[in-house]
Amino acid sequence: MADQLQTLDLVKELVYRLVVPSDRNSAEQNQPPDLEKPLKYAIRILNSRMTPSVAADESAIVESIKRLLVNEGKSSDALTFADMYMKLSMKSGAGTIKNRWAVLYLLKVISEDCRKEKSSHLYTSTSSNGLPLLTNETDNLRFFKSQKTIDSKGKGGILMVSKDPESIREIAIREFADLVTEETEVPEDALVRDVLFACQGIDGKYVKFDSHLDGYALSDSLIVPRATRIMVRKLCELGWLFRKVKNYIFESMEQFPAEDVGTVGQAFCAALQDELSDYYKLLAVLETQSLHPIPLVSEMASSGHSGNYLSLRRLAVWFAEPMVRMRLMAVLVDSCRVLRGGAMAGAIHVHAQHGDPMIQDFMRRLLRRVCSPLFEMVRSWVLEGELDDIFAEFFVVGQPVKAESLWQEGYRLHGGMLPNFISQSLAQRILRTGKSINFLRVCCEDQGWAEAASEAAAAAGTTTMRGGLGYGETDALETLVSEAAKRIDKHLMDVIFKRYKFREHCLAIKRYLLLGQGDFVQYLMDIVGPELSEPANTISSFKLAGLLESAIRSSNAQYDDPDVLDRLRVKMMPHGAGDRGWDVFSLEYSARVPLNTIFTESIMARYLRIFNFLWKLRRVEHALIGAWKIMKPNFISSALFATKDGSSVMSQFVWISRRCQVLWNEMNHFVTNLQYYIMFEVLEVSWSQFLEEMDAARDLDDLLAAHEKYLNAILEKSLLGEASLHISKVLFVLFDLILRFHGLVDRLYEGIRELQSSLWKNDSRGRSKSKLKSNNEVSKSGQLIGEGRKALTKFAGEFRKKMGEELDKIAKDYSSSLGRFLAELPVQLNVDLKFLLFRLDFTEFYSRLWAM
Amino acid sequence: MDPEAERNARESLDLAFHMSNILVTGLDRHTLSILVALSERGFNPEALAAVVKELRREPPSSAAPPPSSRPKP
Repeated sequence: MADQLQTLDLVKELVYRLVVPSDRNSAEQNQPPDLEKPLKYAIRILNSRMTPSVAADESAIVESIKRLLVNEGKSSDALTFADMYMKLSMKSGAGTIKNRWAVLYLLKVISEDCRKEKSSHLYTSTSSNGLPLLTNETDNLRFFKSQKTIDSKGKGGILMVSKDPESIREIAIREFADLVTEETEVPEDALVRDVLFACQGIDGKYVKFDSHLDGYALSDSLIVPRATRIMVRKLCELGWLFRKVKNYIFESMEQFPAEDVGTVGQAFCAALQDELSDYYKLLAVLETQSLHPIPLVSEMASSGHSGNYLSLRRLAVWFAEPMVRMRLMAVLVDSCRVLRGGAMAGAIHVHAQHGDPMIQDFMRRLLRRVCSPLFEMVRSWVLEGELDDIFAEFFVVGQPVKAESLWQEGYRLHGGMLPNFISQSLAQRILRTGKSINFLRVCCEDQGWAEAASEAAAAAGTTTMRGGLGYGETDALETLVSEAAKRIDKHLMDVIFKRYKFREHCLAIKRYLLLGQGDFVQYLMDIVGPELSEPANTISSFKLAGLLESAIRSSNAQYDDPDVLDRLRVKMMPHGAGDRGWDVFSLEYSARVPLNTIFTESIMARYLRIFNFLWKLRRVEHALIGAWKIMKPNFISSALFATKDGSSVMSQFVWISRRCQVLWNEMNHFVTNLQYYIMFEVLEVSWSQFLEEMDAARDLDDLLAAHEKYLNAILEKSLLGEASLHISKVLFVLFDLILRFHGLVDRLYEGIRELQSSLWKNDSRGRSKSKLKSNNEVSKSGQLIGEGRKALTKFAGEFRKKMGEELDKIAKDYSSSLGRFLAELPVQLNVDLKFLLFRLDFTEFYSRLWAM
Repeated sequence: MDPEAERNARESLDLAFHMSNILVTGLDRHTLSILVALSERGFNPEALAAVVKELRREPPSSAAPPPSSRPKP
């Protein structure tokens, strides 16, 4: 009770001191009853439930006071204040202020009140003549109230604009709002709703699609501010874009079964549809928000609820992101309209190269969907060799071909359908892997690849199931492809080498077609030689086949694999009128599936060319050997030198025979060296290189390339290439000359032999004119025997002269041709040919000869 | 009241007064002491501030007393 009383006294005292601060002395006596009313008022206020809206936080209030002081530019005061507060808070024990927060708060509120009072007085005094005068009282009340709301929000309470009384703002805002409503026929929330409709492609009440403008717009008859009109147009761009995308999807889906949109196109549509459903969700949320009324700006500030309403401006913010996306989609739709399959994926991929992470994200999501059919095709192609591409979207295109050209022509890359995120080399690998599988399946009738494929899939970490790969996982794709390629190629190589004995067949071709098996060739040459001298049209290929058979059986070739020997055949080339057997005879090696992928017809034709060349070379060599057989020192030639009395006749032949020997030596030198060069420098070297490359070859393409290189090397070095057309002509002229020489030698020695025999007869029969010449000799020289020695001598002279002339001609032709040949050799590009020249002209005999 | 407490109280009041001066509240020392005492008794500082503000304004408008229909804040 005493406490109560004391409090009352304190209040009384306070009221007293407050009410009569200035004229205290006079008021003390005069107006004691005056105190009655303020006191009651004060007590009422004190008893009211007025509570500070700020939580009792001492440090916060101290901070806010300090900030207040600093803001007013009294930082030194702020420091002092802080100092004093420190001191105050350090006090403890009896008599100190316990409720420091209350005291500080009190001081702060009073201080603020004072300040406002001052400024409002100032304000009213300055503006009273211009603006509507507000009563001081309400003004202050308002201040009081607003102060409270501000305090209730910001902790510690920050002073709101102290120099601009809010009422002025409020009035201005209200007036502005009136102005706006006068100017606009349509309320903003209606516009917002219309814009939302437009963004779904539906005409609203005010916003309609204008085909003339090609876009949504407010109709001109409506009175709306220009700014609003522009804003609506901008927002409705989204609607326009939406229409575009939507139409595309609709059209694609519409024509799907009839026309070929393709799986990639469908995936694209589905992805777009998904994006649109996100967009719908956003629109639904916005639509619910648009139901909230739009408050006035003033309400917003004072009422303090931020509200979920939707204005055009807010809509602009909401639409910012969907707009970017929709624009992107519209661009994609535009650029993909005519594209399909891989090309479409590539076109979309181009747009994914963007710096904006949002767009990147979006594109990645889209591409993942779009590329999934494509990657699925890659997967099934690489692992199963299946080309399930109904709409021709894949970048591998297959076409029906015969088994032997499956590898070369069966499949190819379609450049237009190759999306650019798959590199050319990767595409090549993909193509080859699938091709290998198909090759194994079709040509080799092999099933082992399935194991290899599943192994590869396991190694690459992807399942053989669908949907294992996606866009952006190019690394995974590459691993899968390389794993699959590695295994399947290895398997293919195994099959080709082990099961189909590629190496053995190559060796067989080298032996028989490239005449590597010497004894066989020699024997064959011997037994078919007479046959081949006949005109081509009289030769039976069956007989030749029989001869070939016997050549095989009598040479070491008989120990070869019967399968290999089976494939060796005689082939007669199409022949003309004057052709001899030599010109049309050739050997053939039939490569069956799958090796005919490597030994194609064109390849075999090139082998045939090489065979013909080598065969000719052999024949020339054979002819030379035959010539030597005739020419070598034997009975006839020795007799040639031995005759004494016949020297007049026969000695004439000594000279010619010597010249023959010289020419033969020259020819032999040439042919031997050429033969050596072809056999050792060309065939064997190329073969050993080919063997190395064959071992190194990791896939069929490598093998084909190696084989191609091997063949080309042989052709080039044997002067059969395009570049050495001229020199090879010269070479063939040389061959012909040698063959002619052979014929000449044949005839010459025949003639000599006959002459000799007739001489011998003459001598032994004692010049009897008996016609006892051998009946079977029907040669003209035989007839001459009877005409006596004179005639014989005369004939021998003529014969010698004729032979001598012919020999001269051959020798001359030969030496000029050889000259040309040797002159052309250094011009050839191939390095190895230089060695041939070196070998032929080892002693520099020829170069010196022509230098003279 | 022991002298220690008295000294403490005085010093505290000194400090409070100083602060009040810095904040330009226009309160004199005595009034401040009363206010401090009241707030120590648990009076609501908001209400106290209201009293100070309302009553201070009395003098100039003492002729026209504040309207009775003043709403309770």
